[in-house]
This record gives sequence, structure tokens and C-alpha cells, in this order.
Amino acid sequence: MVAETAKKFEALEAQAQKIMSVFIKAGHEAVAPAIIQPAGVFLDVIGETLRARTYVFTDPDGEELCLRPDITVPTCRLHIERHANPMTRAKYCYNGSAFRFQPAGAPVAHPREFRQAGIEAFGITDKAKAEAQTVVTVIDALKAAGLKDFKLHVGDLGLFRALLEAADMPVRWRRRLMHQFWRPDAFRTELKRLTTAAIDVPRDVPKELLTKLDPERPDDGEKQVAAYLESRGIDMLGTRTLGEITENLLSIVADAKTQPLSAATAELLESYVRVVAPARAAGARLRDLLRGGNIDITEAFDAYQRRLQLLADAGVDVTHADFEAEFGRTLEYYTGFVFEVVVPDLGRQSPVAGGGRYDTLMRQCGSEEDVPAVGAAIHTERLLAALTGDVR
Amino acid sequence: MTSPDTLVLAVPSKGRLMEQSVEIFANAGLNVRKVGNMRGYRGEIEGIDNVEVAFISASEIARYLKTGRAHIGITGEDLVREQMTDWETRIEILKPLGFGHADVVVAVPECWIDVRVMADLDEISSAFRQIHGRWFRVATKYINLTRRFLSSRGLTDFRIIESLGATEGTPAAGTADFIVDITTTGATLKANGLKILDDGLILKSQANLIASRAAEWTPRVREAENIILDKLGI
Repeated sequence: MVAETAKKFEALEAQAQKIMSVFIKAGHEAVAPAIIQPAGVFLDVIGETLRARTYVFTDPDGEELCLRPDITVPTCRLHIERHANPMTRAKYCYNGSAFRFQPAGAPVAHPREFRQAGIEAFGITDKAKAEAQTVVTVIDALKAAGLKDFKLHVGDLGLFRALLEAADMPVRWRRRLMHQFWRPDAFRTELKRLTTAAIDVPRDVPKELLTKLDPERPDDGEKQVAAYLESRGIDMLGTRTLGEITENLLSIVADAKTQPLSAATAELLESYVRVVAPARAAGARLRDLLRGGNIDITEAFDAYQRRLQLLADAGVDVTHADFEAEFGRTLEYYTGFVFEVVVPDLGRQSPVAGGGRYDTLMRQCGSEEDVPAVGAAIHTERLLAALTGDVR
Repeated sequence: MTSPDTLVLAVPSKGRLMEQSVEIFANAGLNVRKVGNMRGYRGEIEGIDNVEVAFISASEIARYLKTGRAHIGITGEDLVREQMTDWETRIEILKPLGFGHADVVVAVPECWIDVRVMADLDEISSAFRQIHGRWFRVATKYINLTRRFLSSRGLTDFRIIESLGATEGTPAAGTADFIVDITTTGATLKANGLKILDDGLILKSQANLIASRAAEWTPRVREAENIILDKLGI
């Protein structure tokens, strides 16, 4: 990687100041979370795939630490440290470095050490409003830095979740499809499996136990499983409880008795995932998909429309924004609205800004309950490159 | 300093692995013996002047072969695959030796009677995360093998806990949920309340005679190698 010149450093600092002053004016308190973070939080939250891209090291005390691969998780941790009740409303902003391993030959727009200027808003219960505000603030900051030509891309995992919730299928299938949503191939395979008859021959349940387990009588199940384990001389061990194991066994038994997923529902889910449309038109496309069926996702749908309206009211050019149902698929901690700002020179692979809603992240960072959270970050080196035309 | 014309042969320094390695050479008429102090770590082969034997641990041998500090050596395939992502370019497996058999496997608590195959693990992982607020933890000393195997089976949401000993005890201790470890008979796993998944075999490993591609092969080193390989019938 080419070393940063003093000139570029100064340009980045000057740009960051413009961005930060927009953030601060919008009511975000400037904070500087620690660069060195406990590795465990990131690895437990985001999973082992991130480890391959995170600089993890062990300090002289044997503690496993990392250079923060993003600044959102450190800001969540800072919030929890400050507030005994994480539901406390708070708005933060930051400008600092984050670090991700890049394989040799990675494009210049993907340096291993990069700066992010970002905002986070926690504990705000009017979700659509907080989301629209986040987009508006980020776009204001981009404009303040001098950006004129850009395009907004939006997605909404909340719509997909609502579709799954409304479709007629056992909880377990829903959870599986949600789990596989981030992996397009596995998702398609799972969908196919669920539409095929006799999908779940309960091979995983010991035969002696199979006849004794009745999904209608969950209380009895735990006793049956305990008795089975005892008869085999198997001790309970590890973090999963008898209750969890029983619940899974009962749902396997229940699945085997359930009708396969209807072809219409599977088709609907597949069609939804394929939706790509201008943000305004996406609503109508979705309504067309659902017409005639008995799936009702009014609430999520209204949230989508209201957010769009709030954005338009705030002066964001939504007529040129694009909606993609699949968007958000590769970022597993997002839970709802997602967006990216793209410039023509850098393209879709290297957005200059992006963010969204991640309501479960605070709990994964140690809060006892989920906390409404929405945030976004500007990739400041990319922004500078786009502004100076220094894009290779 | 070892002369560039000296062939470095790395042999396991301890236990059955050392005995069986020395025996393989002895059966081929190559007398491998330690020089100086019997507890020492250097040795020679009787009758071949330019061979130096390094008695080091099996995992150190893999590293020696990888970097070219040893020309040939005996070590397990598990260690080779763990320590080198690009092992085909760094070493050449000359001969599987028929001892040091061990399987690298995925093992889960026996009480997980609802889990028999890898796909089951993936299936329960999101429920587990919902309840416990974290992904599964896998204890192992085979970090790379584990990561590659699990993601090749579609399981990407887990965390590896590096374990340098007594891995099989980690689920009971609560530091990990399941493990990837080496086993020969499965008895140790069973004694610790663990079972191997039906499709959880990652690698059937054994000791191999291996040549380094990274080492410097001068004509005299090559000559010594030929003598050794000839006697071993390779």
C-alpha cells in the first residue's frame, strides 16, 4: 500500500472536520472509542468469518485483542459503559481508523487501514424517523464535503422478515430461512427442501424417543428426554440445556407431521428476493406480488413507505434511489433498513457511505435486551478520492 | 552453522513416533543415532557423512519443512495441512509410513441427541445464538483445518477458541461448545462425554516421509537423499 502523504493527511483531516460539524449540528455527541478492542466481542458477534479479516493479537497478559474492524461495535460498548440502562437515548458521532486485512492485490479503494466518520443513534423508538434522519444527516455531510453526484441504494430486511412471519410455516422453518438469507445458494436449497414432501424424516431423533415425543405436550417432552439420557448413561454437559435440546427434538417431530411449504409461498419468497426497482416503484411491485394471496405485511410495508416519505420531505432525492430486496444479504448484523451511497467513479463495490438498523447488536455487546439502533459511516478516503478525481 | 552440502533430516523427538521413525530407517539398513549426549537433539546416519539428523517435535518438523530448514522429515499430514495453506507448493509427500494414524474429527457433547451430522449443527446455530447471545465456540488446535472444514460445510457462524491441550475437556468446562480434535480410538472423546458427528471426519492422518521444496538442494544433498530413498525403497 502506498504510504499516505502529509498533503493527503491534511486533506482528510479538513474533510473530516466538515463532516463532523454536520454530525454535531445534527445533535450527535463526538466520541473516540478505543482502537484496541477485546477480540471476543467481535468474534462472538460477527462470527469467525470476520476473524480472517481482523488483526487479532494476544497481549503480554494473554488477553486476546484486536484492532477494531469497525467503529459501530466499539460505540455500542462505549454506550453500555456509560449507561446502566442501554435503552437510554443517545446520539454519537466519531471519526477514526478501522482495520481490515485485505488480500494481496486488493483494489486501492479497499486499504487495510481506513478512516470512517460515522453516526449512531440508540434508543429512539420511532424507527422510520430515526432511519430517515440518519440518511439525511449522512447526505448533508457528504454534500458539505463537496459531493454532488451520487446515488442512494436502499434495502429493508424488515420486509423480508415480515414476509416470513406472515407466511404459513412452522417457526423452525422461518428461523432456518432467515438464517440462510445471507447465503443465496443455501437459501434456495433450503426453500426447495421445504417444498418437497416428507422433508424431515426424523432420522436425528432416536427411535425409542420418537414415539414418546408429542409436540402438543412440550412439558412431558423434557421428562422423556431426561429419562432417555439416563437410560443410556449420558450426562448433560455443556451450555445447551435439556430444555433447548428437547425443544429442537419436538420441532423435528412436529416438522415431520407438517405439510410441506406451499409452492405459492416458496415462489413468493423467491420472487421477493429478486425485486430490484426504483425505491418509489418498489412498493407497487411488492403489492403486485402479494395480490391474491393471504399474506399481510401492512405494518412493514407502511414503515417502508413512511420512511421514504420522510426522506422526500427532508429533501432527499428518492426518485433516483434504488431498492434491492437482496441488499443487506452480506452484512449479518443488520436487522432492518439498510442503505448505501454510491458514486459513479467508484461503483457499487466501493460505496462512499453506508449504514442501517441493527437492533440486536447492543444485546450481543452485553445489554440485557435489544436496543433500537441505527447508524451509518462515511468511508472518508473513498470520499476524498471521489472528490479529487483520484480514482484508479 | 550447517554446510549447504549437509542434508538435514528431521525426526520426531519423542515417544512412539520417534521409535517407529527410527525403526523404519533401521529396517532399511539406515542406523539413525543420536550424537553426544543421549538426551541431545542432534544425530547422524551411520555411513552417510553429510546427513545431520534433527530430533524435534512433530509440529516443529512441519515448520522446518515449510521454511526449508530441513530437507526431509517425518511428520503427520494433519500438521502439514494445518500449517500450510499452500502445502503442495512447499512440500512433497514422499511416502505414507503406516504409523501415527489419527483422525481429525468434529465432536459434540453426547447429550446433543438431536445432532448427528454437520447440517444439524448449522440448523441449531441460530437458535443457540438467540438464546445465548453468541455464536458457537469451537475449541481446537487445528485453527486453519477447522475454519476451512466448517465453512466448506456451510457453517460460518462460529468462533474458534485456540486450545493447546486437553481440548476434549473444554465443553464440560464451558469454555467451548464442541471441539475439533485428533483421535485414534475415540475412547478419550467418549470418556469426556463427546461423540463424533457422522460426517465429521476432517482428515485421516498418518506419519509421512516428506521432502521440502523450500530447502536448498545442492548436488551433494540430492546425492544423500537418493541414498536414503533408495534404501527405503522409494
